[in-house]
Amino acid sequence: MTARATAATAASGMARPQRLQAQGVHVAFGGIKALTGVDLTIQRGQVMGLIGPNGAGKTTLVNVLTGFQPPTQGRVLLQDRPLTGMKARDVARAGVARSFQAARLFRDMTVQENLIVAGLGAGLGRRAATERARDILDWIGCAPIAQTQCDGLSYGDERRISIARALAMGPSFALLDEPASGMNESECAALMQVISELPARFDCGVLLIEHNMTVIMGVCQRIHVLDGGRSLAEGTPDEVQADPAVRRAYLGEKAEKTALVI
Amino acid sequence: MRNFLQVLVDAVALGSLLALVALAIGLVFGVMRLINFAQGDYITVGAYALVVPTASLTPALFLGALPVPLMVAGVLFVVVLLALATERVAFRPLRDSDPATLLISSFAVSYFLQHLVMLIHTGRPKSVGIGQALTTPIDIMGLRVPGIQVVTMAVTAVLLIALVLFLKRTSMGIQMRAAAENFQMARLLGVPANRVIAMAFVISGVLGGAVSLLLIVQTGTLDIRMGLMPVIFAFFATVIGGMGSLVGAALGGFLVGGASVLLQSFLPDGLRPFRDAFVFGLVIVILLVRPKGLIVIGAARERV
Amino acid sequence: MQERGMIAVLEKAWPVLVLVLGLLLAVVLADAYGSVLMKRTVTDALIKIVIVVGLYIFIGNTGIVSFGHIGFAGIAAYFATWMTCCAMMKPITMTGLPDFLRLETYSLWFTALVAVTAAGLVALIIGLVLMRLSGLAASISTLAALFIFHAVYANWDNVTMGRASIVGIPTYVTLWVGLGGAVLAIVVAYLYQISAFGLAARAARDDEVAAQASGISLYWNRLIPFVLSGMVVGLGGVLQVHFMGTISVNAFYLNLTFITLAMLVVGGMRSLGGAVVGVVVLSSIADVFRRLEAGVDLAGTRLSTPTGTQEMFLAALMLLILIFRKDGLMGRRELRLPRLLGGRAAGAR
Repeated sequence: MTARATAATAASGMARPQRLQAQGVHVAFGGIKALTGVDLTIQRGQVMGLIGPNGAGKTTLVNVLTGFQPPTQGRVLLQDRPLTGMKARDVARAGVARSFQAARLFRDMTVQENLIVAGLGAGLGRRAATERARDILDWIGCAPIAQTQCDGLSYGDERRISIARALAMGPSFALLDEPASGMNESECAALMQVISELPARFDCGVLLIEHNMTVIMGVCQRIHVLDGGRSLAEGTPDEVQADPAVRRAYLGEKAEKTALVI
Repeated sequence: MRNFLQVLVDAVALGSLLALVALAIGLVFGVMRLINFAQGDYITVGAYALVVPTASLTPALFLGALPVPLMVAGVLFVVVLLALATERVAFRPLRDSDPATLLISSFAVSYFLQHLVMLIHTGRPKSVGIGQALTTPIDIMGLRVPGIQVVTMAVTAVLLIALVLFLKRTSMGIQMRAAAENFQMARLLGVPANRVIAMAFVISGVLGGAVSLLLIVQTGTLDIRMGLMPVIFAFFATVIGGMGSLVGAALGGFLVGGASVLLQSFLPDGLRPFRDAFVFGLVIVILLVRPKGLIVIGAARERV
Repeated sequence: MQERGMIAVLEKAWPVLVLVLGLLLAVVLADAYGSVLMKRTVTDALIKIVIVVGLYIFIGNTGIVSFGHIGFAGIAAYFATWMTCCAMMKPITMTGLPDFLRLETYSLWFTALVAVTAAGLVALIIGLVLMRLSGLAASISTLAALFIFHAVYANWDNVTMGRASIVGIPTYVTLWVGLGGAVLAIVVAYLYQISAFGLAARAARDDEVAAQASGISLYWNRLIPFVLSGMVVGLGGVLQVHFMGTISVNAFYLNLTFITLAMLVVGGMRSLGGAVVGVVVLSSIADVFRRLEAGVDLAGTRLSTPTGTQEMFLAALMLLILIFRKDGLMGRRELRLPRLLGGRAAGAR
């Protein structure tokens, strides 16, 4: 069975949701506003980029979408189903999976077991979860390290497995938090290939947080820009690059400027 | 009314004693995330230092034979030394362990000390008569209050004030508070970790020694498990108050002391033997409602 | 192909097989050559294995140190006592018991079953409440649970005879019964460990946040091992009373808690093999000290170590392990099939 077929089996029985939406999301930590009135819609079958300077609220938004951070105001919808107030675990089971900036693998387990856990968490049986884990590891070229203990992985492998684990849930939406950070050029290229194939292969939508603009411009159909907790712009890569507000925001940060111009 | 006042005095007296133990535990927890179960054995060792090691049930006095000021100084010295020794030998090498491991290690230290005392003094309870004059009740506005309760409250008040002054006015105290708030940050800012932690143990030793003396005058009995009940109650007092918060620890001590005295007085007869179970049940309830205790300090949420 | 299948099965069963065969060998030897005292020592160690493996099921798989499990051993042990002990004395000394316990005596098998179930039920009720907590708060609350158990049983005079010992409990636990208990505990622990539930619990242990993001419930995956381990520890309690023939509430309090935790820590909290190894090592040390305390003849003079040295040594050893070998003698691994027999060099449990 291929990864696509397993993913499809998981989805059969109910219609896969078309959209994951954040509507008017505010998050405040004490007096600090991390997000102010953010609206964002991720379509299934699409890769949406989420960019912005450090501290713009990107990870907070992912935390809100995945139930780790309850919004102070606003709501999250999966198709028409409200996810706000649900526990992170139930959001995951509803089909919204994520990877982490710090990978957060289960360190005392093998790579394959990491993926099996996600399959089990999504409600698969042991056998089906194992099969899906193998398929995904094959596909991203990690089959050789399937039986390796996770506390001995290289940095690049850790990130790939973090993504693979999110996919092992067979999610309708996969939210990837800076998967390319710390990767070298060839690893980045392989990662871009993987991400761009995700929507078709797993029948899902992707939200990609990334600082590496080559990756963002290369794989995203649409890009959403956050700055200081507010939505600054959204559009196709070309539109966003041409947007004067975006340029202004990024020009303030020299390091980001060069990256954006590519 | 008089009965109620009597209960109140009892509650405050017991609460004071527990607050002293709870402060010691809270202070050490603040600087190194260690719940020091061996605090109870500091108390036991301090009390046993009063007598000469023999198998006799009414042993001759050792430190207890000295004039009162020297006796107090002697006991405090012994307990402080012991506290520092346990820190140096057992707890310092484990400083970077997680709190559960540290708790286990303090169980080990406690078990060690308990059997050390047993080895030196034998395991049988002994009686010792020190400060018996203090146990006679004094009349205060119609209330008959044992002198030792008054002394306990006074000692607690003095130690609390001294501790507050130390923490607010001395540079060591300020560094200690900084370390309790955020140890890593304090370290980066140049707070000397070893000295701050050692100081916390010194204070816990002083508090432990004070409790030894107060307990001995109160009960007149030496037992190798005499520190156990105070430390269990105080331990839960710090949990209720909020681990790491000193105000919380003192508050928790008074709360737990108050709760046990009140339960003792007002529980129906059939349930009174189970008083302790109710107190411990209360601890679980508070943990469920506020897992970090009543007073939460610098408890940053884990960043996802 | 078939050979490879055989090796796979052997590889999977190996960690248990080794432990069981090792214990079997020890029992056979003790049965054939051991003195009465030796047999008792080995039996006692087998019972400790039941308890420590029970502890391991929860602590090893969830990473939460529980200080309260000995309470479940006590619950089961008292049930076993009420159901089997002293038909003549019971109606007089334990007047608070309901009639079906006070006036009846039950078969040993049925008793064990009921006692273990009771421990499991109590663990379920306590776990339903406590497993909402994480980390240190969870550990502390299990300790509170132990104190509650003790405060209740030590004062429930007309049911437990308070702090006094109850005597006259039938003793049927021999070497072989002890072995049966230990093997059962080990097999249960291993089956749980390799099951999907065990995997999920360890995921929650390794990273709470990532486990939730993977759809794993922290609550259920702590509650299941909590109850299972409560039952296994309960079985240990049942065996203990039917070995000793007496029971008192202090037998299931801080000392037993400390010793069993020490065994787990020394062997390795995150390894089933470690749980067993820890019991074997510490029981052997205790046996040596018991002999030393009784006195040995050395060059004509009789030397003996004073009472208490054994406990001090134990505490010191535990501290040394915590300081220098945090994961215990076994580390985080299980015993692996040697390559000689076709095992892989590195791999997962």
